[in-house]
Amino acid sequence: MEEEQRPRKILVVDDEPDLQPLVLQRMRRGIRRGQYQFLFAGNGVEALELLRAVGDIDMVVSDINMPQMDGLTLLEQIPSVDPNIRAIIVSAYGDMANIRTAMNRGAFDFITKPIDFTDLQVTIDRTLEHLAEWRSVLKARDQLVSVQNELSIATQIQQSVLPTQLPQGAGFHLHASMEAARSVGGDFYDTIPLEGGRVGLAIADVSDKGVPAALFMMASYTLLRAAAGTPDAGRTMQEVNNVLTETNVAGMFVTMFYAVFDPVSGSLTYANGGHNPPVLLHEDGTTEQLPLTGGVALGVMSDLDYNVKSIDLAPGDTVFLYTDGIPEAINGDEEEFGMERLCTTLTAAKDRNAHDVTDCVLTDLQAFVGDTPQFDDITCLTLRFTGAVP
Amino acid sequence: MNVNTETSGNSLVVALDGRVDSSNAAEFNAALETATADSDLGVVLDCENLQYISSAGLRVILTTAKSLQSSQRKFVICTLSNPIQDIFVISGFDQIINIQGSRAEALATMEA
Repeated sequence: MEEEQRPRKILVVDDEPDLQPLVLQRMRRGIRRGQYQFLFAGNGVEALELLRAVGDIDMVVSDINMPQMDGLTLLEQIPSVDPNIRAIIVSAYGDMANIRTAMNRGAFDFITKPIDFTDLQVTIDRTLEHLAEWRSVLKARDQLVSVQNELSIATQIQQSVLPTQLPQGAGFHLHASMEAARSVGGDFYDTIPLEGGRVGLAIADVSDKGVPAALFMMASYTLLRAAAGTPDAGRTMQEVNNVLTETNVAGMFVTMFYAVFDPVSGSLTYANGGHNPPVLLHEDGTTEQLPLTGGVALGVMSDLDYNVKSIDLAPGDTVFLYTDGIPEAINGDEEEFGMERLCTTLTAAKDRNAHDVTDCVLTDLQAFVGDTPQFDDITCLTLRFTGAVP
Repeated sequence: MNVNTETSGNSLVVALDGRVDSSNAAEFNAALETATADSDLGVVLDCENLQYISSAGLRVILTTAKSLQSSQRKFVICTLSNPIQDIFVISGFDQIINIQGSRAEALATMEA
């Protein structure tokens, strides 16, 4: 509001001293009403000094021929003080050469001598109006930039909580990757060291995108860490689900696969809460999807049971956990990457370690989608069981 | 994405066409709210011509199911294509939302 109400500051640059009282007299109504405030300089050098010293001058009305620095040179210098200052040039009637030069150097408009004060006022008002619009566009742009910055910070925070040093031990190898989409999404993975050398493995995907999804993701991630103390994957999911549901006002949900892996025996006990079933890749290259456990996505309804299933990994088995950003990635023809391609890639990577398996999938995926922008996070967690050490 | 509503017996039948993803989930939500407001009839959501639904769209269906439930109105989804049926099975939502094979079967459960 203050910004709107302050008088617009107009710097008049002319070496003719009689102009000053004339301007003040003819524009006195606007001055009295608080519309304008006039400042005066006798040449370009003085004008630049004033522009710098005052700092918030809105526009300049300048003569062309002046001692020390003429109006055309001044026009060139104004943007170095503030590129958003608008200038009107005053030229001799019919002096098209100078008018053209002035316009080429960024003058907003021109008036001719002898000055017609009605015309001057119309031109000043038009310039100020343009300036107000320009400023509101700049402001909107700045706000957009700041929202985008906040979103990219949110993405960074999300990324930074995810573990980068995954538990490693004898008999297994873990690798994870998350590529956040441009908009803030809600994927996450986690690897949680548990007692007895066991490891909790999680992958999850929050419904929808944006700031609400990011907040829900952080809540889910933290709750899972807190609930993972129990070696029972089903009970862990149940606890996370109950708290998420109680506090869920936005009707959001998160699909989550959580497994407790025992590197000594190779057993993987898991509960699937509405998440895409991970792929089990055998040493011979065959693949299968881990059967669902009948669990509902978390955050929807409290007091649900999460049943577990258990499999025994054989040495050489790989378990590939992923979010739907992988099978649902699309290419230029809007074809999905799909489970079939994913499984073909995994089969080809059957002899690789967890890191290389992830790389193979991401490389094939990249080759498939090409330049097509992806709108979903692409997240995966790979467990390679090499076998218990005797 | 398109939503068409008609009354059939004692039910509102909402036919959903096209794709629902995070870019139009809010629009889908508003369309469902408009379609089901000013009525106390049960709702059948016919997905015969639904080509794709993302998790953002599932969230809208879930919110609708909850709000209808809280006002004692029935809510049934029907005629899911196989890929969309899979989405409901994987997410586990088939356990908390009544899903029927055809519109006729859905309407029959509304009569019960």
